Amino acid sequence: MSSTTERQYTRDIEAAGEPMEPGPDFVRDVDALGTLNITEDVRLADGARQLTLNMGPQHPSTHGVLRVILKLDGEIVTECDPIIGYLHRGTEKLGENHRYAQVIPWTDRTDYVAAPANNLGCALAMEKLCGLEAPERAQYWRVIMAELARIASHLVWLGTHALDIGALSMSLYCFRERELILDLFETFCGARLTTNMMEIGGFSRPIPEHLPSMVRDFTKVFPHRQHEYATLLSANPIWMARTKGVGVITKEAAISYAMTGACLRGSGINYDIRSAMPYCVYDRLDFEVPLGTHGDTYDRYLVRMEEMRQAIRIIEQCLDAVEPMDTPLMAYESSYVIPPHKGSMTTAEDMQRHFIWVIKGFSPPVGEVYVAIEHPKGELGYYIVSDGSPQPYRFRIRSADFVNLSILPHLAQGAMLADMVALIGTIDIVLGSVDR
Amino acid sequence: MTDSTDPKRQPPEHPHPEPPVAPDSTAPIADPEGLAEAVAHPTDPCVGGSQTEPTATQEAAVAAGHELANVEAMVGRMDDSGTADTDPWGRAAYVDEEVERHPAVRVIREHLPRTIVDLVRFRDETTVHVRRQDLRAVCAVLRDDPRVRFNALSDLTAVDMLRLRQNPRFDVVVQLYSLANRVRLRLKAGCDDGQPVPSLVPLWNGANWLEREVYDMFGIVFEGHPNLRRMLLPDDWEEGHPLRKDYPLRGWREFPVYNQERTVDRVRTRWTGRGPS
Repeated sequence: MSSTTERQYTRDIEAAGEPMEPGPDFVRDVDALGTLNITEDVRLADGARQLTLNMGPQHPSTHGVLRVILKLDGEIVTECDPIIGYLHRGTEKLGENHRYAQVIPWTDRTDYVAAPANNLGCALAMEKLCGLEAPERAQYWRVIMAELARIASHLVWLGTHALDIGALSMSLYCFRERELILDLFETFCGARLTTNMMEIGGFSRPIPEHLPSMVRDFTKVFPHRQHEYATLLSANPIWMARTKGVGVITKEAAISYAMTGACLRGSGINYDIRSAMPYCVYDRLDFEVPLGTHGDTYDRYLVRMEEMRQAIRIIEQCLDAVEPMDTPLMAYESSYVIPPHKGSMTTAEDMQRHFIWVIKGFSPPVGEVYVAIEHPKGELGYYIVSDGSPQPYRFRIRSADFVNLSILPHLAQGAMLADMVALIGTIDIVLGSVDR
Repeated sequence: MTDSTDPKRQPPEHPHPEPPVAPDSTAPIADPEGLAEAVAHPTDPCVGGSQTEPTATQEAAVAAGHELANVEAMVGRMDDSGTADTDPWGRAAYVDEEVERHPAVRVIREHLPRTIVDLVRFRDETTVHVRRQDLRAVCAVLRDDPRVRFNALSDLTAVDMLRLRQNPRFDVVVQLYSLANRVRLRLKAGCDDGQPVPSLVPLWNGANWLEREVYDMFGIVFEGHPNLRRMLLPDDWEEGHPLRKDYPLRGWREFPVYNQERTVDRVRTRWTGRGPS
């Protein structure tokens, strides 16, 4: 035992005899914390009471720092006002002040539970602006990493969503499997969360030799684990009572609110960018796009569960195609791509090229592109305006969950207070991506 | 630390104070066929009036979800076969190098003959510059015309063109997507500082937050927006609009430097090998 602990203990005993100092005012403390407290209680003209309830930004079910101000009539929500921006870091402004290759690491920090998918969209947008394309082998590996990120993101969604509704054990299982995916990311690039994986033109790092077999093992293990989740939830009467008929999004509302991703497909509208406007190698892969019929929370749960199964299918097909390949991973012939690091320590010319590319960057042609990919949350679009300088003139991130979250006031109107956590969970938000 | 009274560090005089003033009546929004009124606030089965029994309402909404057959027609698929010459409204016409043959351009020219300012084609993406007053009418035409059906709003943002041209200063950029034809289109409307842009909220509810974000970041006022206030920054933010090009990266505010003396001590520690006493 260290002496520090003993000293602490003695001090506690000494303090026990003294009168306690008055602590901070309890009510004011709750206000400062701002989790779930009543801020206003109004008696309306017709005798009914209207409570104004502040939920968040530290409430555990708001998935970060979302704050929702609710007006309640009894237990029924009459008005809902989400307040966001607590995690705003100005990623778009930062993107305008960095060179193109420096912007990609910032996209990791937007939706941090699916960082490879963010990197993919940004790299594709910059490649389209420069007019180059990554080699085929790199495209396959990009798809594998993006689909692994989809599973990881859906696992976080499933664990936290079920935890909010009351199925505590789901979060333990889901985060257990997510660790396997993070291990794959770590093997691939050395980082687990903010991976900074994709580069303009492909991958400059080699694929580790044992990575394909690791991914193959994961694709064998994961379907059985997912079957366990389904047996726990899909026919669970409590789960169905909390999700069926809750948060119904009609087809018209889904289109009007510009929903994308599982929120749109749960309502039965077939819009998946992977099949509608294929990028990378998705046009060569065989997969299905699951659609819901009722547009409620349960349908969106089913859609996301099926998307994880389809992701495993896609990964298996990509592995079959990419394992025999021995082609380059990087489009080195383009001047927009970082020169190979190989000769930069031995020959002066290679070192100069590498140095100048890193220090000065490159200048793409004048123009503008909008590239959207199917992110786990929905349509992730990058709109880049180039004025011919090494930095983007405008760097816009159209994140899916920012737009999807705007339907929350519509869904909450007339819902029960206890369903608010289900509604926030079913939209699948990550506040880093909402606030950017 | 620089002097905070330095005039260069002060935020410039803002042309329109907040909250936004009512837009002037000298710039009416072109709405020849009353499209905005016709589609404003469509009847939505999810939202009734005041609901006393949420479960019954939700069941009704579930039932209503099965009966929406007209939306099926909106997302029907178009055939990929054919060329721009054989089928002037087919998918091939959208990627034709001749921009004037783009179906959206022809539809806009038909309904609003003088609204197109410029047409740009870059990397297989078409950008249509339209007049600011006509932005909502153009979007309504593109959304409702059965030949093009750009029925989904993908994105709405703005670009500050301060360093690239004299006027108009801003471009409001609207990305449209056609669920039926699977093509994208970009609309741009130039507006100067203080000029109101017609809001797209009557057409798509999803434009609500996107326009609030544009107002927050650029200070562009949208005429007809139901609730135009700041989105990402706090409501009492007084330092202007951060994505404008004349806004410095770290803002105008002087931030206090904490632990400055201690940092100096640490540096000295490394140089002399002796720590602070």
